[in-house]
Amino acid sequence: MDYSNQIRDIAAKLFAEGKIDVFVGYRMSGFDDNQVPVVITDPKETSVLVFTEKSVFNLTNYLKADHTRNKKVGVVVKGCDSRSLNLLLTESQVKRDKLYIVGVACEGVVDDKGNKMQNCMECFIPDAVVFDEMLGKPQGKKDYIVNADITELATKGLIERGKYFEEIFENCIRCNACRHSCPLCYCAKCCIDQETSTLYNGTNTSSSAFHALMTWSLHLAGRCVDCRNCEKACPSHLPLHLLHKQNEKVIYENFQNHLAGVEEGDRGAFYKYSLKDPDDFIM
Amino acid sequence: MSFSTFVTDKAGLQKLFEAIISKHETYAPVEKFGKYDYKKVSSLKECDPDSPIAMTMSVKPLFFPRSSKIMKYESNSAGTSVSETEDDHLAVPRVILGVKHCDARGLQVLEAVNKWDYIDSDFLKRRADTVIFSSRCDKADTHCFCTSLDYDVENLDAMDVALVNGSGGKIYVQARSEKGENFLKESLDQQSAVGSQQPAMDDIKKQYEAFAASFRLKMDYKDVNEKMSKRFNSPAFEEASRNCVSCNTCAFICPTCHCFKISDVKIKDTGVRYKSYDSCNNVYFTLEAGGHNPRPAKYRRWRQRSMHKFVFYKERFGVNLCVGCGHCAISCPVNISIFDVVNHVASSPLES
Amino acid sequence: MEAESKDKIVSIEKPELIAPPDWKPVIMGILCNWCSYAGSDLTGTSRTQYPPNIRIIRVPCSSRVDPWFIIKALQTTADGVLISGCHPGDCHYISGNYYARRRFLVTKELLKMVGFHEHRVQFSWVSAAEGAKFAQVVKKVTDDVVKLGPLHLYKKENFNR
Repeated sequence: MDYSNQIRDIAAKLFAEGKIDVFVGYRMSGFDDNQVPVVITDPKETSVLVFTEKSVFNLTNYLKADHTRNKKVGVVVKGCDSRSLNLLLTESQVKRDKLYIVGVACEGVVDDKGNKMQNCMECFIPDAVVFDEMLGKPQGKKDYIVNADITELATKGLIERGKYFEEIFENCIRCNACRHSCPLCYCAKCCIDQETSTLYNGTNTSSSAFHALMTWSLHLAGRCVDCRNCEKACPSHLPLHLLHKQNEKVIYENFQNHLAGVEEGDRGAFYKYSLKDPDDFIM
Repeated sequence: MSFSTFVTDKAGLQKLFEAIISKHETYAPVEKFGKYDYKKVSSLKECDPDSPIAMTMSVKPLFFPRSSKIMKYESNSAGTSVSETEDDHLAVPRVILGVKHCDARGLQVLEAVNKWDYIDSDFLKRRADTVIFSSRCDKADTHCFCTSLDYDVENLDAMDVALVNGSGGKIYVQARSEKGENFLKESLDQQSAVGSQQPAMDDIKKQYEAFAASFRLKMDYKDVNEKMSKRFNSPAFEEASRNCVSCNTCAFICPTCHCFKISDVKIKDTGVRYKSYDSCNNVYFTLEAGGHNPRPAKYRRWRQRSMHKFVFYKERFGVNLCVGCGHCAISCPVNISIFDVVNHVASSPLES
Repeated sequence: MEAESKDKIVSIEKPELIAPPDWKPVIMGILCNWCSYAGSDLTGTSRTQYPPNIRIIRVPCSSRVDPWFIIKALQTTADGVLISGCHPGDCHYISGNYYARRRFLVTKELLKMVGFHEHRVQFSWVSAAEGAKFAQVVKKVTDDVVKLGPLHLYKKENFNR
């Protein structure tokens, strides 16, 4: 999968026609064969743009209001990235008429070691769902698959799961890289960090990690698109997808097969309801 | 002053580690989720004192913890009372294995600020009670640039015991401080003493050229320091920091970053006061009670961070704050390296 | 309250931790103002007995409940949480409880996955006329939490009991 040349041409053309002020894409890292995001403001720099199966980072993270405010932005999105973009558009964090979206029919991306990432193997919507231009041949939607780790965890007992997650929360250092890399976390000041709140816990202990990670994943539930920005950002390599995929599974199975960001105007699972939602767990 | 040097080999070193772990409270790099962090170990099987260079988190949390209690308080109608927290479990005699040279130097660098306007007795006591075993790297990893910064090939004084790989499978175990000397004397049998540290130093010097050549990143520090001090208002800071997402990772991972915040965990008027890591890259770092944010723009925070690391700390304390370990670049969500930022600024044109 | 048994009181999520024999559970109740809180009021005026371990917090609607409140309760003094709202279709704000029940299900399942027993957090629909039901609900939750023992997972530092 290599659309580097096409993207360079598109970016150059957009700058030349004055349609964009900024282009957000990928470039080679310069120190190994991995790629890092690049925010280009100078048309002469478009030659650094690349797009291959190593283009992993969800670039819509850079569309959150403070990075590209009031500018015309060109951005490259894969399937999952475009879903988070759909959500950002619906939640009024980005304006559609200020965006030029280059969608890609993604064939899956690989991690640092070159293995296809787990979320790509389970991907149900590889083609970009919102775009001004599509690169590659659309593959169409696939069936939704429940994450393999979640299925395995469900077979373990309460205490075993408790111990496993305790280790995860103990290894969290509260750096908040997960929150800052997530495209859908755009609150000016996160509720967890509000020092005036009685719910604030400003320490870096495992109870603080539990508080932060659980609240974060529950506020993201129904909106998470499984781009794995958070997991790649985590310096302790925590398997954060377990929390998000668990929520995604519960939402898919119970709320009319809802999946985040697929339809235009989607605002996430918690912004709508159905009279048929299950409530047999409520007394 | 010269300290003892002992010669051993890989098997002898494993035996030494096992003996240390069985007799002393020992911390070593333990692998979890593919990352190494220093944890207390009770057997050599749990840990890897020869962990790969770039995977280890810094040893800083064992001296300056991520969160530590500083006092307890209780307020009632009779008044407010403040009391000490429990005994510091980090200020006990202990040994840390597998500390890289850059990490150990980071601790040495931190001592300057901990002895400055406020003597941080907690940090100093923890350092005084700890014996650090350091291992020298054979070659550089992708983001390392320690040789460019205050690096003296013969200076191993940041650690108490240095392990040097010699020729022919020899491993020199060399004391570098009085504490290390006393520790080794009781841990190793005297037969293996070489007496002088010269053969180890000769071996180090021989390996240094190959070691230094293995670095992808090299900088002329004096030149960079001088150029940066003249480029405070350079627009290059904005260009270099564009990708940053302002999380706290680099400062938390760095072996020398020491910013902290104070917070209370309480029920009504009874609680515990904590000191926890903070990062100057955070948007709300030092947000003032009246609402003023001293550094709302991202490039200002990056300017502060890189100038502090490469200019200000050196001016004040005589040592560079950055030790060139590269942990920040590895852990950064978008792999920003302070090396690249600093070089970009230093090589930018001077504004008139 | 149940008579204390001779067996040790252990926490079901951490059986190695033994509670003092005089441990009594603390349940945090979050009740919606219009239905459940009024219902609990009726229980009181009807002099119906129910266990005193519940501490009630009043919110305007069950959809005010952010999962964060449940997490904070579990991390501080609570051993169990009860959240109660109006019956579906009867919400004072028309649809609040419809949104709320989606959030409740996801929160409950996530807490279950990370190691909390599912009876730690329970939900009910109690209308303003259901004084007797409220007493039953509180009794059920308290009985369940007594069987589960004190909660020891992820407590904030000085909240360990």
